[in-house]
Amino acid sequence: MAASIRSIVRAPSRIFLVLQRIHQTQVTVGVLRAPVITPVIRNFFYSSKLLNLESSEKNDHGVESLKDLSRYKDKPWKYLESEEYIERYGSKPVWANYRRNHKGGIPPQKTRKTCIRRGKTCGNPCPICRDQNIIIHYQNVSLLQQFISPYTGFVYDPTRTGVCMRQQKRLNTAIETAKLHGLIPTQLPFVDYTGEDYSNSHGAVAHTPPPPSKTPDEPWYSWYGSIEPNEHELARVKKIYKSYLK
Amino acid sequence: MAARCAGRALSRAARSVINAEYNRAARSQTVQRLTCTAAPGSSSSGQDADRLKAVQFADAEVQDILNRITGLDLNKVFQPVKQELKPPKYRLLTDTQLEEAAHKAGTQAKKLLKMPPVLPERKPIEEVLCEDKMLEGMDKAKYVFTDITYNIPHRERFIVVREPSGTLRKASWEERDRLLQVYFPKNERKLTPPPMFKEENLKVMFGQNRHHAVLNYCLVQFEPDSAEFKRVHALTYEDIEKNGKYNLLWSTRLFGGLVWHLISSQRIDGLLSDMLQRDRVHDAESLVHLFNLAHPQSDSALQAQQQQASGLELLKIYADCECQRPGFIKLALQVYEQTKTQSSA
Repeated sequence: MAASIRSIVRAPSRIFLVLQRIHQTQVTVGVLRAPVITPVIRNFFYSSKLLNLESSEKNDHGVESLKDLSRYKDKPWKYLESEEYIERYGSKPVWANYRRNHKGGIPPQKTRKTCIRRGKTCGNPCPICRDQNIIIHYQNVSLLQQFISPYTGFVYDPTRTGVCMRQQKRLNTAIETAKLHGLIPTQLPFVDYTGEDYSNSHGAVAHTPPPPSKTPDEPWYSWYGSIEPNEHELARVKKIYKSYLK
Repeated sequence: MAARCAGRALSRAARSVINAEYNRAARSQTVQRLTCTAAPGSSSSGQDADRLKAVQFADAEVQDILNRITGLDLNKVFQPVKQELKPPKYRLLTDTQLEEAAHKAGTQAKKLLKMPPVLPERKPIEEVLCEDKMLEGMDKAKYVFTDITYNIPHRERFIVVREPSGTLRKASWEERDRLLQVYFPKNERKLTPPPMFKEENLKVMFGQNRHHAVLNYCLVQFEPDSAEFKRVHALTYEDIEKNGKYNLLWSTRLFGGLVWHLISSQRIDGLLSDMLQRDRVHDAESLVHLFNLAHPQSDSALQAQQQQASGLELLKIYADCECQRPGFIKLALQVYEQTKTQSSA
């Protein structure tokens, strides 16, 4: 919504610039018009979407560059044992003293999309974005455990912890990778081995004899010719489908 | 915790005493071993063929013994599991209803302790059904045809692959597992095995004493006769045996597999000493009996058969004949006998 408003606002300013440039070219010599017009056209076609894409890429870089500047970017788990961390958070989880700002008694069911846009942090950033040294990494198990309930094993909802949606997604992927690496215990289903045949004797998985050499007189299966239908059954079925038979 | 430390200290003291004794008694030991090996010639050849047939894992006798050895600790089997929390339910029961409920809990525990099968490694599927030179170069990709009829067992399902060269062949075991997971997905099983089963990550898990978690994930992810399943199990069992952490798997469905692995590779000394330390003498006797069944041509088995031994005598025969660390077992047996006589007196 805000992005579209901004693009609408930008458009007339661009048009104004274009008109200015056209006016300038009209004043100068006509020969120089062609090379001057191409930058004009380029500006005109510089749509708001392209600008937003670039800014979103810058945004990602913005978020990551903030964490890249941290001392603990190679070993993020070291930060949780440092004096700095203990002084700031003690033994409580990182999100314990964070409070969201929202209108009314009931908070919105989703936290904000992201705390950092175009390199600029919002007011009251979430518990992960406000601390440069808290890096979400699948090996940073002690940090990830702070966002998992010790009783149910589920990841806490972002409305409870206060993290922004972008950091919540990164947190979810990090927790899943940690579970795949076996760093965080998971609850596994019970595998039942009753009623399964492991003899591997069926033709699908065992060796099957090659087809017999082709003799057109013999039927493919030995029982092809010998099975005959029950006469009563045959008569009954013929009676039912009499109108459909030739 | 303190009890465990005390127990370990006791065992360490015992071992130092044993080593001294062993050095002194070395010659007598060798004399005894000579007498053991002299025994085999006496049994008749006709009975040999019947009695010397080694048992397999799936035999009823073996399963019975393994179930007994595994034990039944209801607190460990019904450990609270991390799941969605619900308020607790309270029920008032009469005595008979309470017994019934305990009986039900016992049967449920037995179901949960059912051992996964130990199977020989599956032979690779290499069979070409048809060679069609006509189809060569038709496409750059392989086509896989899977039979997705619902009511047939997965091991009877036909899965065939048409290669770009035109050959129609049966899919290999790895391809089969992957495709069956695609069409008939099982809970928590991934298409590619998770990085937990790599060497480095396994070592981390073993360091944290989470062998049961590794093996449970292995049961979920792999088929019981696949190479990966066997490899992970072998690594886990080796680590347990090296560090003597037998109690981690006791009273779980994975204990039977561990015991069978140790028996097949003839390394039950550590487990025996651990059992005797924890006063599980009957379990130790069953273990030696199972060893004799599985290796009927071994010295201890033949001696036991000759003397028709049972109970503590079995243990003594084993300690004399096959054991690599006989001193500790003999000491433990002596202590047990002394306590028994004291309690009876």
